[in-house]
Amino acid sequence: MKTTKAFRAALTAATALIAVGFAGAAMAEDVTLEYWVYSDFAQGDALAMQQEFIKEFTDAHPGVTINISGKGDDDLTAGQVAGAASGTVPDVYMNAQSVGAQLVDVGAMANIYSQFMALPEEQRAQFDKDALASCMPKPDELYCLPYTGFGSMLFRNLTVLEKAGIDPTTPPATWAEWYDQMQKVKAAGMYAIPDETLVFNSIAEIYATTGNTETWGFDWANRKTRIDEATMTTVLQKFVDMVPLNTGTSRNDQATKDLFISNQLAFHTIGPWVNPTYDEAAKASGLKYDFVLIPGDTAGKTGGIRSYEIVAVAPGKNQELAFQFAAFITEKTQMARWAKLLARYNANAAAMADPEVSALPLIKVSVDAAHGAMEVAAPYFVGSIPSCYNSTVIDYASATADGDYTPAEGAKEMIAALNECMAQ
Amino acid sequence: MPFRRYLPHYLMIAPFMVLFAVFFLYPILSGLYYSFHDWNGVRVPEFVGAANYTKILASRDFSRAMGNLFAYIAITVPLGILVALGLALLVDSFTGRWSNFFRNAYFMPVVLPAFLAATIWRWIYAPNFGLLNIVLGWFGIPSVNFLNDTGTMLYALIAVDIWVSAGFNMVIILAGLKNIPTELYEAARLDGASKRQQLFHITIPMLWPVLFFVLTYGLISAMQVFDKPWLLTGSSFTSYGGRRNALLFPVMDMMGRAFGGVKFGEAAAYGFLLTIAIVVVTGVMFGLRAWSERR
Repeated sequence: MKTTKAFRAALTAATALIAVGFAGAAMAEDVTLEYWVYSDFAQGDALAMQQEFIKEFTDAHPGVTINISGKGDDDLTAGQVAGAASGTVPDVYMNAQSVGAQLVDVGAMANIYSQFMALPEEQRAQFDKDALASCMPKPDELYCLPYTGFGSMLFRNLTVLEKAGIDPTTPPATWAEWYDQMQKVKAAGMYAIPDETLVFNSIAEIYATTGNTETWGFDWANRKTRIDEATMTTVLQKFVDMVPLNTGTSRNDQATKDLFISNQLAFHTIGPWVNPTYDEAAKASGLKYDFVLIPGDTAGKTGGIRSYEIVAVAPGKNQELAFQFAAFITEKTQMARWAKLLARYNANAAAMADPEVSALPLIKVSVDAAHGAMEVAAPYFVGSIPSCYNSTVIDYASATADGDYTPAEGAKEMIAALNECMAQ
Repeated sequence: MPFRRYLPHYLMIAPFMVLFAVFFLYPILSGLYYSFHDWNGVRVPEFVGAANYTKILASRDFSRAMGNLFAYIAITVPLGILVALGLALLVDSFTGRWSNFFRNAYFMPVVLPAFLAATIWRWIYAPNFGLLNIVLGWFGIPSVNFLNDTGTMLYALIAVDIWVSAGFNMVIILAGLKNIPTELYEAARLDGASKRQQLFHITIPMLWPVLFFVLTYGLISAMQVFDKPWLLTGSSFTSYGGRRNALLFPVMDMMGRAFGGVKFGEAAAYGFLLTIAIVVVTGVMFGLRAWSERR
C-alpha cells in the first residue's frame, strides 16, 4: 500500500515536472516582441513593408510574434520613459538620436555593444561609421543602431524663381547669392522663405550656413553651450535681414507648404519628408520644384542639419531576440528596400551605395546634404538636454529678429542664458 | 458596538475609499515625496530638500508662464462667463425646436476633441490662406499672423478657449435660468420694470450661486490650461510655448520638465506649486462667497 502511494506520488510529481517543463519550453519558444515605430512608418506602403520585414523574421524564428505600433514623436518618448519606470518598455523601438541620453538615463536602452560585436564583420561594416559612432558615448557602449536619417535641403519653387527673373538652372552657391535671390523674389511680390526663427531646427539650419558641429551643441564636461558668440552674431544678423522677406510661418506649418504649392513661396529649408507632399502637388497641379543643398557663407560650404532616427532595444529577458530583430531590419537588404520605398537616406552605407538606391535623386541630394550638414544636437548619448535649452535659442533668435536686441547683444544674452540653463 | 453597527456603512463606502486611496491619495502623497527629490522616474530618488521648488521659482520660464497665466485668466474667465450668459439668455428666449437647436449648436465645440478644435482653428488663423485672413482681406486689412505674432497670440488662444468653453457654461447657466420662478418676472413687469432692470435685479441675483460655480470652475480650469495652447503652437516635449514663449503656461512647462528634461522631481514640485495656487484661489472664492452671503 505504502509502495503504491509512493509510486503514485512519484508519478504525479514526474507528470507535474514534465508539464512544467513543456510549459517552460513553450514559453521559451512563444515570445511576443513589442515594436514601436514612428507613426508615418505605420501606415500605407511603409507599414506594408514593415509587416513584410516582420513576416520574414518571424518565419525564420518560429514561435516569435511581433506587434508593431505607430506613435508620434512625443508619444514615443513619453511611452518609453514611462515604460522604463513600470518595466514595460517596448522590446524594440525607434526614436530620435537627440533623446537617446534621456532614454539611457532612465534605463530604457540596453547596451548592445557585445551583441553588435557578435555580428559578422561584414554586417557590422555596413553601417555609416559616423552614424554608428554617434550611438557610442564610450568605446564599449553602444545604445542604438542608426536607422533612417536626414540632411536638410533647400526646396526651390522654380515657377517663383522664374517670375522673379532668376535663372533656376544654377542653384545659389553661397549665402550672398541666395540672399540676393531672396530679395529679388520679395521685390517681385512673393515670399522668399519661411520665418526661420520659429523652430529650433530651422535656426540650426541657418546657423550651419556660417558655423559647424564643433561650434554647436553641448560641452557636457563643463555643462555649457558650444555656440560661438561671433558665429551666432552673424547668424542673428541673417535673421534680421530675412524679416521683410519671410512668410511669418514656420517651416513646419501647413500654411508654409500651401504657399509653396501655390507658387507664392520660393524657398523651403526642410528634410526629405516633405517631398511626398510636393511630389503629389507636382502631379496634381503642376508644381515645378527641385531640391538642392543649402548654401553656406563660402562656395563649397553647405548649411542645414543632419540627424538619425535610431532603433534601440530594451534591457530584459527578450533583449537577445529583440537585438536580432533590430539587426535584421537594419541589415543592408532590408535598408535598401526601405530606402527605395521611401526615397529616404539611411545609416546603412552599403545600402546607400546600391546603384538602384543611390540613383534616386532625393537620396543622392540627401546623402550630399547629410555629409555637409551640422549635427543638430551633438554629442549624443552624453547628457539629457534640459527642457529650457531649445526654447532659449528660439526665444533670443525671435527677439533679435523682432528688434529687441542687436545681433551682438542677442548672441551674448543667448549664450549666457543657455549656460545658465545647462548649469541647472 | 458602534463599529459593528456601522460596518455595513463602512463597507458601502469602502469601494470608493479604496479607489480614492489608490488613484488619488497615493499619487498625491508620492508626488509630494518626489517633489523633494531629484528623480528621473527610474533611479533611486535623491533627497534635495526644497531645491526643486527654489529652482522653479527662480526660472525664467516659470516667470513667463505665470505672467501669461495671469493675463489669460484676467481676460478669459470674465469674458467667457459674459459670453456664456449672453448665449444662455439668447437660447432661453427661444422655445421648442429652436431652443434645442441653438443649445446643441453652441454645445457642439465642448464635445469636439481638442486636437480637432485646434486643427480647425489653425486653419482659420493661418496667414494668407486662413479663413479669418481671407475675410480681413475683403476689408483691405493685411494678413495677420495670429499664431506667431506675439501681439495677437494670447487673444487668438482666448477666442478658441471661449469658443470651446462657452457651450458648457451656457448649459449650466441655462439650467439656472430655468429655475428662476416666473412669478418674479411677472411681478416685476406689473411694477413696470424694464428688461434691463429684470436682468440686473432678478436674473443675475437669482443666478448668483450658478455664476459662482461657473466662475470658480472657470478659474480652476484656466489655471490648468494646457491642451489648446500646446496644440495651437504645435508644441512638443523639446520645444513648447510658441514664439517667444507667448503661449507658455505652467502645465506646459511642467510637462516639458517631466518628459523633455526627464526631471520628475522638479515636475512634481511644479505640480504642487500649481496645486497650492489653485487651493488658495478656490479658498478665496469660497471666502468671498461666505462674506457676501453674511452681508
